[in-house]
Amino acid sequence: MPKLTIDGKTIEMPKGATILQAAQALGVYIPRYCYHPSLPVSGTCRMCVVEVEKTAKLQIACATEIADGMAVRTDTPAVKKARRDVLEYLLINHPVDCPICDQAGECFLQDYYMDHGLHKSRIAPGDKIRRSKRRAAGKYLTLDNERCILCTRCVRFCDEVTRTGELTVSGRNDASFIDMKEGKGVDNDYSLNIADICPVGAFTSRDFRFKARVWFLKKTGSICTGCAAGCNIEVHHNEGIVHRLMPAPNPETNTWLCDRGRMTYKVLRAGDRLSKARIKKGSMEPEPALRQAAHLIDDAAHRAGPESVAVLGSPYLSLEDNLAIAELASGSIKTGALCLDFSCEQGVKDGILINKDQTPNANGLKLLRARYGGLDQNALIGLINSGRIKLIVAEARALNSLREKLRDLSNIPTVILALAKSDLDFDSDCVLPYASYFETEGHFVNYKGRIQKTAAAVAAPEGVQPLWLVLSKISSYTGAPIKIEDTKAMSAKLSEYALGKSVIPAICKPGSIAAKSTRE
Amino acid sequence: MAYKISERTLAEIDRLLKIYPQKEAVLIPALHEMQKEAGWIPEEAMDALGARLNIPYARVKGVVTFYTMFNRLPMGRFHLQVCRNISCHFAGAAGMLRHLEDKLNIKEGETTEDGLFTLSAVECLGSCGTAPVIAVNETYHENMTVEKTDRLLAELRAENNSD
Ligand code: SF4
Ligand code: SF4
Ligand code: FES
Ligand code: FES
Repeated sequence: MPKLTIDGKTIEMPKGATILQAAQALGVYIPRYCYHPSLPVSGTCRMCVVEVEKTAKLQIACATEIADGMAVRTDTPAVKKARRDVLEYLLINHPVDCPICDQAGECFLQDYYMDHGLHKSRIAPGDKIRRSKRRAAGKYLTLDNERCILCTRCVRFCDEVTRTGELTVSGRNDASFIDMKEGKGVDNDYSLNIADICPVGAFTSRDFRFKARVWFLKKTGSICTGCAAGCNIEVHHNEGIVHRLMPAPNPETNTWLCDRGRMTYKVLRAGDRLSKARIKKGSMEPEPALRQAAHLIDDAAHRAGPESVAVLGSPYLSLEDNLAIAELASGSIKTGALCLDFSCEQGVKDGILINKDQTPNANGLKLLRARYGGLDQNALIGLINSGRIKLIVAEARALNSLREKLRDLSNIPTVILALAKSDLDFDSDCVLPYASYFETEGHFVNYKGRIQKTAAAVAAPEGVQPLWLVLSKISSYTGAPIKIEDTKAMSAKLSEYALGKSVIPAICKPGSIAAKSTRE
Repeated sequence: MAYKISERTLAEIDRLLKIYPQKEAVLIPALHEMQKEAGWIPEEAMDALGARLNIPYARVKGVVTFYTMFNRLPMGRFHLQVCRNISCHFAGAAGMLRHLEDKLNIKEGETTEDGLFTLSAVECLGSCGTAPVIAVNETYHENMTVEKTDRLLAELRAENNSD
């Protein structure tokens, strides 16, 4: 392997590596705009120039291959001057409207200017070339052509990652700008990644625009529950409000994050988020409603026997919550009509990230099924359609997923757990709210069998509790408690029943995710 | 209105596709063919060409807008291209351009109402030794003066009338 020195430090790197990669490995930071580790190299911005001994001119670190005996310097006066010149050049027509720019605070132009520029502008503001300030670029993006530094990261993303090719550099020299088809936008499933990789405030997220100043945001490592991929994410929030989800790149799961996944936080503040229970269409505090639910269960079990109560697991719920569901059925109600069978076809759908399985925890259910058994889905549907079931306890989306195969549900009472009113596409006389996975911890098993954990980034609405605790309380009211009253009891049960003691420590700890940001 | 690439151009595209290992390479010659036919490249033509080559529209547009010689608006019958680069500038190109603007009553980049003339300022035409130069479509008119431009306009008008 070639051995080289960078600023006097020696490193050996595989053949074909670039100076920038070698520097990165040594912990020497070389400023860059167009280079992005997950995109093909373009070498257009010249921000990464370094001095290489025995070469006449400065070389770009991102595209220069290392060679044995190479001596690189990143801190000479020539390099410093080149960086300053590149910055001055990039800022010639830049509007510098940082006060109203969403990127401010995480802008590579701001940061590098402070580190390497600090020059006085020689261009009067009136002489700058003006461009369009807010062009809608698809469902999720806005393009400010004035702020663009033409690094072409966005173009390469659409060309090489999504292969949808929506973007191009139109025109040439000082007349060039990022362009797309008139009346069209960036319409792929990963468009918001462009807001991340754009080093400046040219592409910004329409959803996040003007919502928060980035330096106020707190970051919590977590897991996306949008599909079976189990992408690692960072939840950005402030004062109890989630403002955006960002990818937390992890070679085991994801580099990017899909647009649908990014929007999953919307349920938290959607107008129809349930923060109260709904009993017979009237609002009720969650606590007293639990007693009502317990009463429904007792009533059905007494009148038609415990077997008349069907209990459904849900691939949308965490291991914790499903474990409580299984315990409620087998330990408390003592019914055999438990169904944990929700598996469906899995695998990456588009060659990038999005999984064919749009639920996050079908594999978690499999783990529990191995322990608790239960009916397979068709058997349960048969039971319900035969009229022998007198009460269904289920999470809303899981029951929705069976609706096509079920006959009329209108005369079977239900106890439904739901995050939002829109989760329900049927009527229920007893709907109980629960804490989302932005508000409580929960384990999920992704399509590869990786067990990961969400983190509580913000607090749930007052009185709203994790689903497993809701069920635990209901079981106490029925007089046959499942005895999982706190997190300690829950994790003990989880390691004992669901995962086996040996598996638990292997869980990826959020926060300890090698949280290299995709912004790079 | 959907744009239809002519049979002739389609045949040329097919011929070129066999020669070049990368289909992107066919873009420029194909665009030249299309421009030869209509005098300019409409937006719909970029769409049609992209679809034909299975290249995103944006890629085609990037190429068309990069090369100033691809016209993106309908052109007059005579495209007057006044060189404005250094040699021609020193030899009086700026005055000639202004003169033509006055004479034709249009600004640089515009086309006369009768569709006869389009006036452009262009970069070096590679004929600095005979500056200043005006190219009319593909023909060079060298060592130009203001008087010679008047004569040139008259000749072109006459040519148009005789057709
Ligand atoms: S892109 Fe950066 S430098 Fe430009 S206005 Fe936004 S924050 Fe300021
Ligand atoms: S819009 Fe952003 S990512 Fe795209 S070229 Fe401009 S600065 Fe780069
Ligand atoms: S990062 Fe190397 S040229 Fe842009
Ligand atoms: S400058 Fe006009 S032909 Fe070269």
